[in-house]
Formats: sequence, C-alpha cells, structure tokens
Amino acid sequence: MRAVVLTAALVLAASLAAGAQERPTFTFHGAGAVVWVRSDTAGGAVRLRGPALAGEGRVGLHGVTLGVGFLEGRLRPVGAATPRDLIEGRVLIAARPLPWLEMSAGPVVRAYVTTAATERWVFWQARARVDAPIVTTTLTSYLELWRALSSQVNQATPVGRVQGGEAGVLYRPPRGSVWMRLGYRVDDAALGAGGETLEAISLAVGVGRP
Amino acid sequence: MSRVGVALAISVALAGARGLRAQSARDLVAQGVHAYRALEYDAAAAWLRRSLADDAAGTLSTVERAQALSYLAATELFRGQRDSATLAFREIVLLDPRYRPDELIFPPQVTNLFQEVRRTTKAVAVAVRPVTELRVRSERFSARLLTSSLADVTVTLAREDGTPIRELYSGPVADSLIVTWDGLTAAGTPAEDGRYVLRVAPRAGAGTDGLRARQVALDIRQQPPDTLLWPPPLTTPPLLPERTPAAPALRPLAVGLVAAAAVVALPSVVASGRNTTAARFGVGAAVGVSGLVGFFARRPGRPLEANVRANAPQREAWNRRFDAVKAENAIRRSIVRLVIRAGPQTVAEGGAP
Repeated sequence: MRAVVLTAALVLAASLAAGAQERPTFTFHGAGAVVWVRSDTAGGAVRLRGPALAGEGRVGLHGVTLGVGFLEGRLRPVGAATPRDLIEGRVLIAARPLPWLEMSAGPVVRAYVTTAATERWVFWQARARVDAPIVTTTLTSYLELWRALSSQVNQATPVGRVQGGEAGVLYRPPRGSVWMRLGYRVDDAALGAGGETLEAISLAVGVGRP
Repeated sequence: MSRVGVALAISVALAGARGLRAQSARDLVAQGVHAYRALEYDAAAAWLRRSLADDAAGTLSTVERAQALSYLAATELFRGQRDSATLAFREIVLLDPRYRPDELIFPPQVTNLFQEVRRTTKAVAVAVRPVTELRVRSERFSARLLTSSLADVTVTLAREDGTPIRELYSGPVADSLIVTWDGLTAAGTPAEDGRYVLRVAPRAGAGTDGLRARQVALDIRQQPPDTLLWPPPLTTPPLLPERTPAAPALRPLAVGLVAAAAVVALPSVVASGRNTTAARFGVGAAVGVSGLVGFFARRPGRPLEANVRANAPQREAWNRRFDAVKAENAIRRSIVRLVIRAGPQTVAEGGAP
C-alpha cells in the first residue's frame, strides 16, 4: 500500500510539473480485440482465445487526467477446457510530465468467470507510456510498460510479480478529432511455479486527445 | 666589374654620346645661324650642312631641323645657289607641310622662293594622337591630314600586310582635313586586335604629282567589356528549403522500425519464458509499415509547396535582377571599346618619292 501512495504522489507531482490546463479535455475510445490467455499450472497449460470489446473514457483538467476503462470478452478454449468470460475494469489517474511521457497509476480488477467459479484479480498498477511521433502528430508509435505495485487473487497459489506492456501505432487524421490505434498488449503474472499470460491485439477508434 | 656594372657603364656611355651628339648638332646649327647673321654665308652653309649631316640619328626636333634647313636655304640663295636653296626648301615641305619660314627673320626673296617651292612640291603629313580610346560606332578616331598644297588623296585603313580594311576618305585636301573612323571595318564589324596602318596616298587616277604616300602604324586592341557581376545565387538560408532533406525522412523510418522491434520484443521483456502467440508479429509489421509510410511521406527531394510559395517573391526579385544584369551586359558587350596606339609617321612603301 505504501507503494501505491508513493506512486500516486509521483503522479500528482508530475501533474503539477506539467502545469495547469485551461479547460477540461475529454477522450473516449472503443476497441475491438482478440484476446489470448494461457495459464500454466501444475495441472498443465490452458489456452483460451476469443474476441473482446473494450472502452475507455478520460477527462483531463489542470494537467491531471482521470480515466475509467473496461474490457469484456468471451474466451473459448483451444483444447479441452471450460470457456471463460473475461471482464476487466480499471481506474487511472495520469499526468504528462513531458510531452512524450505519460505516467499513470490506478487499480485494475480482472475476472475470469466460468459457470463454476470466478478467478478475480485486483492489482494496483504504475504505468509509463512513451509516445514517439513517426509523422509529426499524424502517425505516432507508443510503448507502455506497467508493473503491479500490489496484487491480490482469490487463488491459493501465491502471486509473484505482475507486469505487462503495450505497444502499437496511432493514426490521427490531419483534420478532425477521431483517431485509430492498433496495439499489441501482453500481461503476465507469476503464479507459484506457473503463470498466467494475457495477450491481446486491439483496434481502437477514439475521439479527443488519445 | 660585374655584369650589372658593365651594363650600367655602357648605358651611361650611350646616353652621354646621344646627348653630346644632340648638343653638337644644336651647337652646329647655332654656329651656322651666327655665321648667317654675320653674312659669312660660306661658313654658315658649312656649319648648317654639317649639323644636318650629324643629325642622321634624328636628335633634332622637326622644328629645329626645319629651322636649320630654312637658314641653309637662305644661305644658299644668298650664295647664288638657287638650286640648293630650292632643294633645302623642298626638304622642309616634305618634312612638315605646315612649316613656314619666319617672315620677320628672312627677307621676302627667301620667303617668296619658299612659297614657290611649296606650291610645286606636293606633300602630306598625318597627325594622330599617340593613344586613342573609343567606343565603336559612337565615338571616333581622328587623323589630321596636312598638305603643302591642294592634293587629291585616299586615306585607307589596312592591315599591316596591306589587306585593306576600310577606305576612310578619298578626295581633295586643300590645306588640312580631319579624317575620322568609327572603329568599324568595311563589313560593319569592329576591327579585331592587330597591327594596322593608316595610309595616305595619292588618289588613283589623279596622278601622284610628286606626292609621297605617308602612313602611320596603328596598334589596335579591343578592350574587354566591363560587365556587371551576376547576382549571387540564392541559397538556403535566406531561402526556405524547397525540398525535403534526407534526415527528416530517416527519422520516422527509424522510429517505426524501433517501435516495431519493441512490439515484437515486448513478450521477452514483460513475459520472459512464457509461450506467447505470434500475433505480435502482425502488429509489429503494421508499425514497421507505418515507419515506411513516414519515410515515404517525408522522402528526400519531395517538393515543399508551402516553402516554394514563400520563396517565390525572393526568386522573382532575383530573376528580375538577373535579367537586368543580363540585359545590361548584353548592351555593354555590344559596345566594343578600342584602344588605338599610333606609331611614328613614315613614308609608305611603294609611295611616290
């Protein structure tokens, strides 16, 4: 918990350093994704795959951005396993200490729901995102890395490090505020001797500053 | 003695000898004049003939020589040697057609004889400035013809080898005449560099009547036109670059490739040791293609229309300056300048005696 407080303090300090904004800014995006989940346990490996829908809204004020996001998908097993529903929600607070750097933090709740049980994850993330323009502001690449500062899962297996990242490219037409983003995401959690890895390819369409 | 010393000594000796000879000729003339005034005509004739003979090197000026001849002619006349007097006067006329014995010094019988000889002796002299600079067509080179009496002459400009370039005048000259030349050949082109002669000869068909042709050597050089410098070429800056340079094109390519590599390598960084799908390669390829798109969007040498438009006023101003210089230089090149250096007047080869 101490790490969470420290991260929040860093984000707030970064937002103050970034300076104040005049008016609030709003950003929304919706995305379609294909998700792959692989769980390696003592009992063997389980692989699931399925489509997902995601969305996120952000509001920025005085250099600080507050965001809420969700993801929901139906994962079907590649081999013999039970299908799962994937539901993920997150809240974040972010700031840009530098024009090309965004730092954010916030809680993430992820649940794998089957007819028999629900595997629920809760972790606090600290994220850092770097934007690198390819063609000025029209075409931008990005790389985001995150690490869980604390994590909980309703499993008997002890949780190790939880981290992940996302990279891709964002296209913003010269005129208008609509943008599109193609990204690849991978989250990995160490669970005892095994682990759980989530991969996703998403295509997002958004409005406002991405 | 060193070579320099020897050369110096020889130079001093030659200059001294020339000065002594000039002094000697002038002294002899002075003694002859003194003897003439003392009515010692035989002595005067001897001194004067000796002065003229000693002046073979031409140390006496034309006026001094004409004066010596005048005294000699008068002396011979008073000695009863009319033919010798006539010959002396004839030599004066040929030497300088404009020369006249001083009537305050010589009695009428002397000057009358001179006028008689002058009328019967056809002579012409050409006087030109040592150096003349002129613009072809608009300015003129001038030569003054002096004749002892009415003469029918042709003034021709010819090459040194005799090839005629242009006839400048053909007709009578009563006393003097200024002949001008605009620097053009008979074909209407400016005279080329080279050595020429300005030849004054009896007009063909008019009879030489004893007139000796005269010529003046001319060295003609065309002066290169003083053209204006071209305006300095426009550079960047102050012009804005009109085509995309290479560096900005390579940057998006590099960013795209690095981002693509990051996508591909992401599982290795955050999920090391896990079996991940190959889906990331599709996204990585898309990101790499974005880099290529960025490269071609900013490819080197692509016209930057906005900068071209911004530079247009400066380019137009430069073009106007260039055209103005071009027009001015065309005018200056069309104006050929000649530098004409005149040599001494000589008797023309093949001229009448």
